[in-house]
Amino acid sequence: MLLSVENITVHYSRLPALREVSVSVDEGEIVCIVGPNGAGKSTTLLSISGVLNPTSGDITFDGKRINGMSPEAVARAGISQVPEGRHVFTTLNVEENLRIGTSMRDDRGEIEKDFKRVLEIFPVLAERRRQAAGKLSGGEQQMLVIARALLTSPRIMTIDEPSLGLAPNLVDRVYETLLDLRNDRGMTLLIVEQSSERALKAADRMYVLRSGQMQLEGNAADLQDGEKVRQAYFGFEEGVAHEGEVAF
Amino acid sequence: MDWPYIFQTAISALSFGSFYALGALGIGLLFSVLRLINFAHGDFITIGGYALIVPSSAVVATLSIGGFHPALLAICIIVLVTVVALLSYFVVFQHVQNSSPATMMIVSFALGYVLQNVIVMIYEGRPKAVNLFPELTGPIQIADGVSVPLLQLVIIAVTWLLLIALVLFFRRTAAGVQMRAAAEDFRMARMLGVRGKRLIALAFILSGSLAGIMSLLFVTQKGVLMYNMGLSIMLFFFIATVIGGMGSLIGAVVGGYAVGIASVVLSAVLPEDVRPFRDACVFLIVIIILLWRPQGLVLTKAARERV
Repeated sequence: MLLSVENITVHYSRLPALREVSVSVDEGEIVCIVGPNGAGKSTTLLSISGVLNPTSGDITFDGKRINGMSPEAVARAGISQVPEGRHVFTTLNVEENLRIGTSMRDDRGEIEKDFKRVLEIFPVLAERRRQAAGKLSGGEQQMLVIARALLTSPRIMTIDEPSLGLAPNLVDRVYETLLDLRNDRGMTLLIVEQSSERALKAADRMYVLRSGQMQLEGNAADLQDGEKVRQAYFGFEEGVAHEGEVAF
Repeated sequence: MDWPYIFQTAISALSFGSFYALGALGIGLLFSVLRLINFAHGDFITIGGYALIVPSSAVVATLSIGGFHPALLAICIIVLVTVVALLSYFVVFQHVQNSSPATMMIVSFALGYVLQNVIVMIYEGRPKAVNLFPELTGPIQIADGVSVPLLQLVIIAVTWLLLIALVLFFRRTAAGVQMRAAAEDFRMARMLGVRGKRLIALAFILSGSLAGIMSLLFVTQKGVLMYNMGLSIMLFFFIATVIGGMGSLIGAVVGGYAVGIASVVLSAVLPEDVRPFRDACVFLIVIIILLWRPQGLVLTKAARERV
């Protein structure tokens, strides 16, 4: 396993947000975590990135324990997160935003090559190179943060709700791009998604998280009829979502 | 009013504004990356002043660093104040950097009072006369019948040079761009591998160097050392950063000039009887500005977060 999260429990002040959650991602896989609002999906990703500290459990990356490491150390180890809400640096221009992605690297020649490659994948960013990132549309900003995360030259990218706030056709484009990244470049992806249909389409494997606990895990191929996922997602009373049980 | 008088007032206003702008920048640099309003900043400036003289309780000060060759003197003071600022991070602020801005601000107040009292313990509380760079304190003739204090021109020139240097730093260097990114979204910058602690330390170095330069300018101007002299100007720097817009460095400069120019212009135009209350009038203007634009003159993400 490239990344494995084992039985982590995370508290916000004293409330548990995650209880004994385990997730694993193998090299080259696309893994999705789905679940309703407040299920603990973002908490899981933030714990992996070292922003939150699990009170118990272990996170290992490439055989090394990474919980307790600072966010920058985790990023430098090769895990790049695209957090929820995009987080572009609005006052920096597009190129400066991308440069921040390279700030941990010192392989000058490779950086320039990667820069070119990323701008080929996202031509719109090349056009807007000198524009303030805050002036980009939502879809363009989503492309920018993915491009920026790519420039850290990660071994795995974790992406929190890539479809949030985007028009459906843009969501398709974002997912196409993510699939291409895996297919063409062998990128490993851990994606948090609210829509289980979307996740079933994109993922190799998926997890369903609700109320801070893992409800289901399985190969996407085995879950295609969607019934099991729906039950896990909503709880056993069909169609009743326990939204916001664990407040973020 | 005649033209020489207006010209002299303008230069004086610019020089006050420059000084306040530098002070506000020193505060703003730390606030932008750390959300710390450092009330000890003024005391860093005081320390730079006291470092010029030999520690003693004598009324007449004996120069120590103050007796060095001017260039060496300036470097020594700037380095020393920078080290003090950096130490304040590693010894004090580092341990509260995850606390709320209010907690950090109170800690900085405490640090400031500790520093003032240490100065009183070593040097005693009486004012001490110091004659720093006497060649700068005289007037200089610009045109027939128009002369201005040379120091005012020096303050303006030094400030503008520093502003240009800072702009180049923030636009052209990797560290500068990272600092702008961190000012907007510190967590995201760290998640992209930007080393948070190193960046904050760099902000303290920049802020401390500014404080060191201000020590030199301030002591030259005042000619006297007082243990609490930093605190009194700190209030103006703080106000300048607030009306400029917390977290915006451009705002800090704008705010600094606004406060400095307002002070000087008010001294010039207020009726004789009201003049002793000039500072009250400045603060009144500040209140009016904040009623009109509570977020400050230059809007930033940091200000938006608070709303």
